[in-house]
Amino acid sequence: MHRKQFLKTSCSFCVLASAGFFVSTLPSCATAILFKNKDNKIAVPVSFFAKNDLQIIRTREAEFDIALRKEKDGSYTALLLKCTHADNALTSTGNSFICTLHGSKFDIEGLVTKGPAVHTLQKYHTQVISDHVIITLQ
Amino acid sequence: MKNILITLLVFSMLPLWGQKVNTAEDSLAYDTTVASIKTTLGGYGDAYYQRNFNQKYSKVNFERFVLFVGHKFNKKISLFSELEVEDAKVTATEEGGEIALEQCYLKFQNSSKSYFVVGLFIPAIGILNENHLPGTYNGNQRPQVETNIIPSTWRELGIGYYGKLNRAPINYSFGLLNGLNSAQFEHGSVIRKGRMEGRNAGANNIAATAAMQFYKNNFRAQISAYYGGSVALERSVADTLKLHSGLLGTPVMLGEIDLQQEINGISLRLLASYISIPNAYAINQAFDNNTPKSAYGAYGEIAYNIFACMKKPSLKELIFFIRYEILDMNASIAVNGIIDNTLKQKHVISGLNYLPLKNVVIKADLHFSNTGARNPLLITNPTTKGYQPNNNIFNLGIGYGF
Repeated sequence: MHRKQFLKTSCSFCVLASAGFFVSTLPSCATAILFKNKDNKIAVPVSFFAKNDLQIIRTREAEFDIALRKEKDGSYTALLLKCTHADNALTSTGNSFICTLHGSKFDIEGLVTKGPAVHTLQKYHTQVISDHVIITLQ
Repeated sequence: MKNILITLLVFSMLPLWGQKVNTAEDSLAYDTTVASIKTTLGGYGDAYYQRNFNQKYSKVNFERFVLFVGHKFNKKISLFSELEVEDAKVTATEEGGEIALEQCYLKFQNSSKSYFVVGLFIPAIGILNENHLPGTYNGNQRPQVETNIIPSTWRELGIGYYGKLNRAPINYSFGLLNGLNSAQFEHGSVIRKGRMEGRNAGANNIAATAAMQFYKNNFRAQISAYYGGSVALERSVADTLKLHSGLLGTPVMLGEIDLQQEINGISLRLLASYISIPNAYAINQAFDNNTPKSAYGAYGEIAYNIFACMKKPSLKELIFFIRYEILDMNASIAVNGIIDNTLKQKHVISGLNYLPLKNVVIKADLHFSNTGARNPLLITNPTTKGYQPNNNIFNLGIGYGF
């Protein structure tokens, strides 16, 4: 099989087969939003949680994203998306966080569901002030 | 004299007291928004008992002992390494056994969504290539497709870029690596023996890889591709052997797609991979190694954690699994190749994984395999026992990761 044929058969099939599924599911996934870190505090508008209880918070300065989740009681939980095994950045799947380095997995509350990590994710303090969730990074 | 020795011993240990080796447990104590220097340790290993019913032979082997060492130089730059001892022992007088770097690279963090790696690293191809700890796959042996078609653990020297999209749950990666060495391709393992793995790799040829992963709750999909040259010889030598040299000369192409889904204790894995070697004729002419023009493999696996149906949540897991694999390592051959139907294989592996803890696993499985008949042209020693297309193997093993 020649190069063109190979690329045509293997790549186009994969892309076409998966494209429709990907596009249809994108709006319901938690995606990252860029925020500014001011004095080790990040302010996230409460309105961001109108449609999705989970938001991935990203700043230009920080090494790791933060998962900010609205609880049923109206409080907010902020989890540092840093694997507790080898400090690799975690990827949000929408209802869990996974580490691509060794395969560790954490649930939405930051508890380990798959090793080799053994410790829960680090939490940051949050409070709601004037329609904003304030995440304190220290 | 005794006192002097004790004093010397105490003073010799003083510098060690100033060093701190952090385990995963200690990592929580650090605020990573502040640059910090730290070292992390980890590792994994597995050992097994195997009974081959056709050969009426049993063996035990400590297959892998791996240590991870990571070091963070500052907020932006870190080192990650894996050192592996295979088969417990390496000697100059016996075959088998290996001490090898599985990975060793510097990671340059660009932002929270992207980073570069430079060094010996494992590109994202297949499911197990990147994540190969014993607790991440079912059965004592890694899937045949991810051993013989995708030659896991496949690491090469080069540079890689990893990123995430802001507005979609998609990760992507690109890699530029040294190419393969087709002179080392071996009948029966397609490109596996042609990996350079960081040891005096020829750099006259290169390879490029790309991968994209999509995540949606408990679903993950990946597509990946590899395109690289397989002749790193100097041009005059390659010309003499009638091989295309140059960066991408005598190319090897590999494509792969995999899907994973987990729901209510049930997990499903599907993977398919295809290799194309268009210049197999020239490779066979130069090296007489019966390289195929194409090869493929696919597997499907379903597993169920029996403890998931218990009313009381349990940290323990008892996973029943069944995996079906099909592969053909000479799906098409060059005019000067010899077809070998033993390389057209089907495997059924079924068994139990018991995890008393997340990072410790006890595995038991039965492996049934079926291949085509052996080609008489490939029998070099007619006195050996006849080839048996059907084989049954029992495996019992342990594994850990930390």
